[in-house]
Amino acid sequence: MENLSLKAKNIIKYFYDPDTFQVLKGVSFDVKKGEFLSIIGKSGSGKSTLLYVLSTMDTDYEGSMEINGDLLTGKTQNQLATFRNEHIGFVFQFHYLLPEFTSIQNVMLPALKLGKYSAQEIEHKAYENLRLLDLEDQALKRANKLSGGQQQRVAIARALINNPSIIMGDEPTGNLDSKNSKAVLEIFKELAANYGQTIICVTHDNDFARSTDRIIEMQDGLVLDGYHRLV
Amino acid sequence: MKKSVNRQIAAVHLTSRIGQTIVAVLGVTFGVSMYIFMNSFMNGVNKAQDDMAFSSMSHIRIFNENSVRSYNPVEGFLPSTQTIFTIRNHKVMQYTDGIKNTLEIISFLEKQPEVTGIASQLNFNVFFRSGSKKISGLLSGVEVINEDKLFDNSSKVISGKWMDLNYQKSGIILGCVLAENLGVKVNDNINILTSDGISKNFVVTGIIETSVKQVDKTKAWLNISSARQLLTKNQDYVSDILINIKDKENTEPFLSKITPVVPYQIESWQVASQQLVAMTKIRNILAIAVSLTILFVAGFGIYNIMTMTINEKIKEIAILKATGFSGHDITVIFLSQAAIIGFIGSVVGVVLGYGISTLVNQVPFEIAGLSTLPIYYRYQDLTLSIAFGIATTLVAGFLPARKASKIDPVIIIRG
Repeated sequence: MENLSLKAKNIIKYFYDPDTFQVLKGVSFDVKKGEFLSIIGKSGSGKSTLLYVLSTMDTDYEGSMEINGDLLTGKTQNQLATFRNEHIGFVFQFHYLLPEFTSIQNVMLPALKLGKYSAQEIEHKAYENLRLLDLEDQALKRANKLSGGQQQRVAIARALINNPSIIMGDEPTGNLDSKNSKAVLEIFKELAANYGQTIICVTHDNDFARSTDRIIEMQDGLVLDGYHRLV
Repeated sequence: MKKSVNRQIAAVHLTSRIGQTIVAVLGVTFGVSMYIFMNSFMNGVNKAQDDMAFSSMSHIRIFNENSVRSYNPVEGFLPSTQTIFTIRNHKVMQYTDGIKNTLEIISFLEKQPEVTGIASQLNFNVFFRSGSKKISGLLSGVEVINEDKLFDNSSKVISGKWMDLNYQKSGIILGCVLAENLGVKVNDNINILTSDGISKNFVVTGIIETSVKQVDKTKAWLNISSARQLLTKNQDYVSDILINIKDKENTEPFLSKITPVVPYQIESWQVASQQLVAMTKIRNILAIAVSLTILFVAGFGIYNIMTMTINEKIKEIAILKATGFSGHDITVIFLSQAAIIGFIGSVVGVVLGYGISTLVNQVPFEIAGLSTLPIYYRYQDLTLSIAFGIATTLVAGFLPARKASKIDPVIIIRG
């Protein structure tokens, strides 16, 4: 139990627009600490929807969800925002940086919001993260002046700034060429192995998925029986 | 720490779209400067009108109303209404006119701390005669020095000297149009004929030009003791006692204080010239209506710009929320942008409004004693305009900011 990072229990979700449609039909699974998990499945299988529920941003579901033993179901939006700030890092498909801010500012913002450390310490940590991702020289450039691969790596640096226990990726490599994809994969692997961070990624990329510790395959709103590995 | 990161984000938003920020600031600037200009202008007009009105009117006037007291001698004996009677050629009984115990009243008034000036007058209608010309008008016997203190007459005398009235008991000062109509100049003689048929010659010692046409056309001044002589009245007799007090807007408490003591009619300027009060009030309402309309329009501009900005930044707001910023943080971020726009706009607006007013104050306008368009600044207008400017932007910024705070990150990130 102590080793569990995330516990999802019988998650059910409906879409109401345009017609009532059950997207998730009772999804349950556990993720261990330090595990690198990928969720795969065809379009419409509900894998992205599941990730948004797990990310705490979507609160309109049935069932329950715990992260690090905290029951998150039923908390208010503002409580969840505070929780995300401290415990969850996000890497989105379309990087989603703030275009008017520099790379370093983008990385620093969640930590400044958390307010645990001084601005100097945060800046130091942000530089370290950028260095880790080989972006040191891009630190003072505006986010919208960076290439797609660079932006994705800045987004990863941002996701790591508060040392979150879980990093969630929505097609983190979906927008990248194979070289950059590989780099991102390596970074994730290293984080899981060396820093004990749990990583959950939704992906279409079977090569990417094969490199992870575990794969959950979704179909029609259900997890397919058994954790079978794609070979 | 949290606050400073919100402010930092607000600052980046404001500076990265500097053009839009400037447009929003200009909206407020325009509203605030118009507010200041309109109010200063209206205050200037009010003040000019007051100055004009109070050049011949005191704040408070004590007089003995010349009322007709009808007395029916038959009624007392025959109370029944059945009897029909007529009285032919019924005469009004002799009544007391003018104010008798002047010294007593004046010494009481002088003890009141609110009083800044007192002057007695003896006013009556006469005919001014010069050669074949005969013009009816008003003769005002005045206490020369006190009258000057109240109305600054000596500065309006265009030829001759006001103070000469004090020494020359047979001297008279005429309104400029009256002098022209009579065809007399300083040191010429004119004849005065009272309603009682007394006639006396006077020497013109001065000619006066007030900015009130009616006064210039019909009025003349002389020493009050000469006036008493002309009417064969004693040395205590006056028709009006004029009083100025420190705060002319606040005549009510003073009136209620002296009314029980003074046994004559007492009238404040507000009652005596209600149209003056009404016009002042209407102009103030007009000024406020116009300037608030401008601020309202400016507020709409800011509302539009903020709404547009927030629609453009909807993705970024979602990201901020995803990475842990609460709805409250988002409200603070956008509301502080509105506050900064409001503050800068107001301060610049005050400067601009002052500039516009100063410019308008140079425009020549030579009517009724004015030389340029009147402008009068009040500090309360400056502070109020800043308060209105900031309040407008905050209200205009609040709705979009609240909308932004309610954005659901999932909907945007899902795409």
